[in-house]
Amino acid sequence: MTDNVYDDYVVNLIFEHLIDNNAEAEYVPELAEWTLSEDHLTYTFTLKDGIKFSDGTPLTTADVEFTYKTIAHPKYNGPRAHAVASLVGYDAFHKGETDVFEGIKVIDEKTISFTFPEGSAAPANIECFIYGIMPKHYYEFETWEDFLALNEAPLGSGVCVFDSWAPKEFIKVMKNQNYWDSANALQIDGILMSEVPDESILSALQTNQIDLAQISSSSENLEAAQSLSNIHLFNYLGNGYTFMCFNCIRPQLNDVRVRQALMYALDREAFIEAQYGAGLAEVGMAPISPSSWAFPDASELNAYSFDMEKAAQLMDEAGWKMETDGFRYKDGEKMHIKWLVYTDSAWPGTLSGMAADTWKQLGVELEIELMDFDTVSSRTMDAAPGEKDFDIYTMGFSLSVDPDPTGALFDDNAYVAGGFNASGYKNEEAMKLVAEGKAEFDIAKRTEIYKEWAKIMNTEIPHVIIAYRSEIFGCNNRVKGMEIDTYKTFVQSIRKVTIE
Amino acid sequence: MKNYIIRRLIQMIPVLLGILFILFFILEQAPGTPVSNMMNPKMTPEQKAELAQKLGLDTPWNERFVNWIGEALRGNLGYSINHKKPVTQVIGDYAGATMLLALVSLTISIIIGIPAGVISATKQYSIADNMLTVISFIGISIPSFFFGLLLLKFFAVDIQLFPLFGLRDPLLMSTNPFDKIKDMAWHLVLPSIVLGLNSTASFMRYTRSSMLEVIKQDYIRTARAKGLKEKTVIYRHAFRNAVIPIITLLGFWIPGLFSGAVVTESIFALPGLGKISVEATLTRNYPLILGINSMLAVLTLIGALVADLLYAVADPRIRFD
Repeated sequence: MTDNVYDDYVVNLIFEHLIDNNAEAEYVPELAEWTLSEDHLTYTFTLKDGIKFSDGTPLTTADVEFTYKTIAHPKYNGPRAHAVASLVGYDAFHKGETDVFEGIKVIDEKTISFTFPEGSAAPANIECFIYGIMPKHYYEFETWEDFLALNEAPLGSGVCVFDSWAPKEFIKVMKNQNYWDSANALQIDGILMSEVPDESILSALQTNQIDLAQISSSSENLEAAQSLSNIHLFNYLGNGYTFMCFNCIRPQLNDVRVRQALMYALDREAFIEAQYGAGLAEVGMAPISPSSWAFPDASELNAYSFDMEKAAQLMDEAGWKMETDGFRYKDGEKMHIKWLVYTDSAWPGTLSGMAADTWKQLGVELEIELMDFDTVSSRTMDAAPGEKDFDIYTMGFSLSVDPDPTGALFDDNAYVAGGFNASGYKNEEAMKLVAEGKAEFDIAKRTEIYKEWAKIMNTEIPHVIIAYRSEIFGCNNRVKGMEIDTYKTFVQSIRKVTIE
Repeated sequence: MKNYIIRRLIQMIPVLLGILFILFFILEQAPGTPVSNMMNPKMTPEQKAELAQKLGLDTPWNERFVNWIGEALRGNLGYSINHKKPVTQVIGDYAGATMLLALVSLTISIIIGIPAGVISATKQYSIADNMLTVISFIGISIPSFFFGLLLLKFFAVDIQLFPLFGLRDPLLMSTNPFDKIKDMAWHLVLPSIVLGLNSTASFMRYTRSSMLEVIKQDYIRTARAKGLKEKTVIYRHAFRNAVIPIITLLGFWIPGLFSGAVVTESIFALPGLGKISVEATLTRNYPLILGINSMLAVLTLIGALVADLLYAVADPRIRFD
C-alpha cells in the first residue's frame, strides 16, 4: 500500500507486524513467536497474549489470515505481492479459482502456519512476515473499491492511531491510548509529519520548526548541520549501494579486461569526495552492504584504485589499440560507449562527467545521454534482451535485511524483459553459489558462500558497486532517547522517546 | 450573442479531440511505463507484467484513447496510480491550494501592475517610469526559486516573521474559522509575493505599451481639447481602449489558475497541482497526466471564449452575431 519511505513510517506507526528486525539485523518476534519446521518449509506463529487493535478488538489469527489473503487478492495491484506469491497455493487463490489459500492454515485463535513449497526453503522467507496486520472486522470488503476507500482512515494495533492528514502537507498520528502492551506504549502525545522541501530542511531544524529530519548527505550539509547548536546528528551507513551496469553482450564490453580497465580509469575516491564529501561514502566492492554480516573481508576484494597505466595495459591486452586520433580501435571498431544518465538525482551526472574526462585519456569515446529515471529503467531493465539500448547505466538500490540477491542485479534468470538484471552476463558457478546461499540456514556456511560469490562478482564486474553511502538525520536536542541506525528507523525507537 | 456562444462551444469539440489525441500520442511515445519505476527486486517480471495488465497497459493506445473518451464523458477520469484514488478526487485535493495561491497573486498583480503601467505610460521617460521599468525587468527576469529562497532566508529564518513551509499550521487547535483564515493568509504572504512579482511585471509592461499607443490617438487629443480633466481623459477615454490586450492576458490566466506554479509550490511546500503534475509525469501516472491536461485544455478554450466575450463589454463597437 505504500510507495515511499515516509508512507512506510506512517504505516509502521499504525500497524504492527508478526516479526520485526532489531538493530543487529536479526529477526525478532513483534506480535508473534515462531517456530520453523524440520524441513524449513512451515513457519508456525503463536500470537502474544492480549493483543488488541486500537479500537479495543482483540487481534487474532483470523486477522492475520485476512491480511495475507488481501495481498493475494485477484485485484491486488500494489508492489507487495511477493510476500505471499511464494506460498503454497498462491496461484490458484490469486487467479480466483478457489477461496482456500492452501499455504495459510489457521490452527486456532492464536496459532497460524504458513507453508512454502518443496525446494524453496530459505532463511529470507522470513521477510514475508514483516507486513502490517489489518483488522478483519474493519477492513473486510465486498468490492475492492470499498477496501481502497479505507486507505485514508487506517486502523491497526500499533503505538499510534491515525488522526488526520492533508495530501502533500502533513500526516498527524496520536498516541494509541489503548495500546495493548502498556509498558511499551508511546511516551509522547503524538507525531506530526510535515512535507518540507529539501532546501528548507536545515532552516526548519535551525528554527525549531521541526524536531527530526533526514538531511541529504553532502559535506556542505553536514558542515552546516554540525554548526547548529540546537540539534544532534545521526550519521550512519545506509543499507544500500549505487551501482553501474555494463551491457556485457556488447562487443566492446564483453571482455572482462575492458570492464576492469574502465574501472581502473575511474577515480571513485575523487568522485566520492566531489559528490558526497570525504567520510560520507565508501568505495563499493561487494554487492552486499558493509553493514551486513555477510559482507566479506575487504582485503580479499579489489577496490579498483585509480591506475591509468594498469587500465591502458588491460585495454592493450584485450586488443584495443590506441590510434593516432587518440581513441582505441579493435578490428576497425572504435571504442565507443553510451552511458544513460538520469537527472532525478545528481550523482550519475557527476560520475559520468568525471569518467568522460579520464576515459578520454584512456582512448574511450564516451557518449552521455541525459534522461529521466523512468526512461533509464525502460531502456535497460524493462526492455527485452537484445533490445536493451545502452552500454552503461547507473542507479541506486536499497537492500533488505537478508543479503540474498535472488531476482536482483546478479540473477541470470532476471535477464528478461522487466527483470532487474540488464547486464546479460551469465555465470553458472555464481548462480550455483546464489542458490546455495539462499537455501543455507547455517550463518557461518552462508557467509563463506557469499564471500566466494562476492569475489567472483568483484572480478567479473557485470555490475560494479560504485559506493556505499551514509545517511544523516538531524534531531532537536529537546528530543531524548531517539536512536537511528542502519537497521533502526526512528519508528523502531519511538517508544523510548521523550520530549523535554 | 447566444448563437455565437453555442457556435463557439461546438467548435471546441474537434479542437479538444485533437488536443487529447496529441496528448495520448505523446504519452505513448514517451519511454517508460507506470511500472518502470517500481524498484523492488523482490517483484518478479511476471508480477510486474500482471500489474501492467491491471493498469490496462497491454491494450493498444488507440483503443485506450476511445475508452478514455467514453469514460470521461461519463465523468470518470480513471484511478491515479500513485494515489490509489479517482483522478477527479486527486485533482480536487490539490486544486484548492493552487487556486488560492493563483487568485491571491493575480489580484495583487492586477491591483499593482495595471495602475503602475498607466502611470508609467502617462509619465513616459520620467523618473517614475524609469524606476518602474527597471523594477519590472527585475521582476520578469529574477528566477522564482532564487527570489523565494531569498525571501525565506530573510523573513522566515533570520527575522522569523513568516512560516518556512506549508499552507497552514496543523497544530493550530482553534476551531475559530477567523484564526484559521488568518493562519492561512500568513502562510500565503511569501508565496504570493514570489508568484505575483512576475505577473505584476508583465501586467505593468502590457498596460504601459498599450496605453502609450492609445494616448497618441487623435481622439485623446480631441478629449483634451474639449477641456476634460486629465484624469477623465486617461481613465475614461484612454484606459478603456487600452484594456483589450489586457483582457486577452486575463483570458489566458483562467487555465493558469489551475495549472499550478511548480517552483513556488515546491519551495514553499504548498500542496498544489503543479507539483503533482510534475510527479505524475516523472512516474508516468497516465490517468493523472491525462486528467490534469485535459482539464487545462478545456479551461484554455473557455478562457479564450471568455476573453472574446469580454472584448464586447470593453468595446461597444465589437458585436457578436
